[in-house]
Amino acid sequence: MTTPPGGSQDPPASLRDLEAMLDAVTDHAVVKLGPGGEVVRWSRSAQAMTGYTEPEMVGQSVSALHTEEDRGAGLMEQELESARQDGRREFQGWRVRKGGERFLAHISLTPVRGEHGAVSGFVKVFRDVTESARAESLFHGLLESAPDAMVIVGSDARIVLVNRQAETLFGFERAELVGREIEVLVPARFRDRHVGHRSGFLADPRLRPMGAGLELFGMRRDGTEFPVEISLSPLETAEGTLVAAAIRDVTERRETEQRLLRQRDEILELSTPVIQVWDKVLALPIIGTLDTLRATRLTEGLLEKIAQTQAEVAILDMSGVPTIDTQVAQHLLKTVQAAALMGTVSIMSGVRPETAQSMVHLGIDMGRLRSRNTLQDALQLALAVLAERAGTVAAAARALTSGESL
Amino acid sequence: MTEDVVPVMKIGDTLLVALQGDLDDTTVIQIEEQLTREVARTGVSGMLIDVSRLSVVDSFIARVLARIVAMVRLLGAQAAVVGIQPAVAITLVELGVPMGHLDTALNAEQGLALLERLRRADTGTDRP
Repeated sequence: MTTPPGGSQDPPASLRDLEAMLDAVTDHAVVKLGPGGEVVRWSRSAQAMTGYTEPEMVGQSVSALHTEEDRGAGLMEQELESARQDGRREFQGWRVRKGGERFLAHISLTPVRGEHGAVSGFVKVFRDVTESARAESLFHGLLESAPDAMVIVGSDARIVLVNRQAETLFGFERAELVGREIEVLVPARFRDRHVGHRSGFLADPRLRPMGAGLELFGMRRDGTEFPVEISLSPLETAEGTLVAAAIRDVTERRETEQRLLRQRDEILELSTPVIQVWDKVLALPIIGTLDTLRATRLTEGLLEKIAQTQAEVAILDMSGVPTIDTQVAQHLLKTVQAAALMGTVSIMSGVRPETAQSMVHLGIDMGRLRSRNTLQDALQLALAVLAERAGTVAAAARALTSGESL
Repeated sequence: MTEDVVPVMKIGDTLLVALQGDLDDTTVIQIEEQLTREVARTGVSGMLIDVSRLSVVDSFIARVLARIVAMVRLLGAQAAVVGIQPAVAITLVELGVPMGHLDTALNAEQGLALLERLRRADTGTDRP
């Protein structure tokens, strides 16, 4: 603040200007204190922030704004003393409004020196930062209470912030992670690729899962790996774009998935049994709905059993099949054809009336596949086929030994 | 005289042929020459073609088998294929290779019986 040149000064006028300027500042309160902390000037913005008017405050100690405990502890005197020594001090502290409401103030205290260097008073500027402090502590609270491990990374890929869950998950202390590159949490074999991927994310930052369709792994401090799921979201801040990564350990889920797969295989095994009911006769009781997977297993199971037992007849019992569609019929037909290629005759049994109707309506042609009403009838037919074949086997054997053709 | 490319055994009135390894176009022609010559020379009424030792059975092999069977029939004998493995059977069906016209049996013993039935049907007035 300089006075206009020319000498024709009007001190009261320039002082009024100054006061008008100070009063125009609304988010900072500016007050002038005497050397002992008594209020000399109390701006309108200070009144707006604290509720105290100028007549109430001038001549009073500014410690009226302190909490009772702080006042008792002589905090104001300490603050003034340290500003006197350091030249200028900035700090945060709780203050009390006229109505008793507390607010967090960001305060700067600057000593004013007189002609001989002695401190003649202080300029105190303070600002209500309760809201931004609350927002910050809310952010930290949210970060800490998040169920997932959170790692926040700057655009240089260095870790800015981690929460407690991340410390637990990766086995690092917070201080060991902050400032290091994010790749410290990535298994070595993925690191090079990860560097490329993260540049890609920063080029187009938006909320998305990391590595869609890939199995991702994290690496702990001790070098062990574990499967993870990661969602990424960009975080626009005053310090530039940050990336928040929410990391979830999915070890248990992977194990559950694998157990389910194993169980499904076991159930399939149980659900497509092949029974040897007679010498050279196999029976396949088909129960329930046939999907592609079950039908494939059924075909494989039957053919393996044929190879193993050299069975000449296979009975497909359909009495446990509630409905049949084109796909299922195609599967059955393929099974019959494959068995026929190996030299085994198939017989169907127990076809339900409604199944017979829908098969014809669907235009399913089972070729010359023979069918019987019950499993018992089918077994009789099977034995008749075997007997006929046994007859020809005997005839063939006779022909061989006698060396004659029939 | 062309050299023999596949082992052929004569058992009674039947020739037993075992195809093995990889078959290419040249080998197939040689096999066809050898088998037709053998049927004509021995005058047998049946032939069993064992494919259990073929490394691959695909649509090409399926056509080859159909051709051999047709040639043997023209020479007045019956032919059947034996020893198709489970995996091969599934592959052929999945590929949709038409094999319905081929007579097949699980093994040589059952193949002999099958040939016997084919011979009977051939001498009768009805086709099987």
